[in-house]
Amino acid sequence: MQWLYLAVAVIFEIAVAIAAGKAEGFRNRAWTVATLLSGAIATYFLSKALLTFNVGVGYALWTSVSGIGITLLGALLFGQRLNWRKALGIVVIIAGVVGLQLSGAA
Amino acid sequence: MSNTARHSANSWLMLFLAGGFEVGYALAVGGSHGFTRLSWSLVAVVFFLLTLWALSTALRTIDVGIGYAVWAGIGAVGAALLGPVFFDETLTPIQALWLGVIIAGVVWLKLADRPQDTQGTQDTQEAAARPREVQGTAH
Repeated sequence: MQWLYLAVAVIFEIAVAIAAGKAEGFRNRAWTVATLLSGAIATYFLSKALLTFNVGVGYALWTSVSGIGITLLGALLFGQRLNWRKALGIVVIIAGVVGLQLSGAA
Repeated sequence: MSNTARHSANSWLMLFLAGGFEVGYALAVGGSHGFTRLSWSLVAVVFFLLTLWALSTALRTIDVGIGYAVWAGIGAVGAALLGPVFFDETLTPIQALWLGVIIAGVVWLKLADRPQDTQGTQDTQEAAARPREVQGTAH
């Protein structure tokens, strides 16, 4: 169940990134509201996930998987180049998540 | 010149503050026990807003990729180190190692989003606008 909570928290954290980008330094009211709302939902589900995960582990999983999602969405939807540097970062994060899970922390 | 230096120093101070606030946010969200404890929950909301303010202020002058990398690194390392201090949690050396790998990956990924290898003015402007577009996260 904690993985489901974490997944929902990740999805809304990615939504925060997109909405904050469109909020134009929080001058655009609708996107600013969307940013805060997404942030609130992401935070709520993160707190549910942290009922099971340790804070350090759960937080790192959340922020890193969100980072992967933001980079991939940037490539898919916003035409950003997915260069070898970003690919390497993604691979390193995935290796860390898998290793962490095998070590029994997650 | 000294004004510029002071301005820059203030921005970095603000960035480190944003990292500290993010650590407070992570700990408070954990301590809120699924937002069932009022005091921790309120602290989490306050840290959320403080982070948003400090990070957006710092990123007005600091390169977005570098800024996010430093901020995310402080947040993740701080949460990992202080989690066991505040809560009944243990972190074995092997788990700490894998956590370090993840955090290194995040910092690297944020740095990789820097607009550095583009050519021409238009490209550079476009690239400069990009990270803000999809990286503007400050939960």
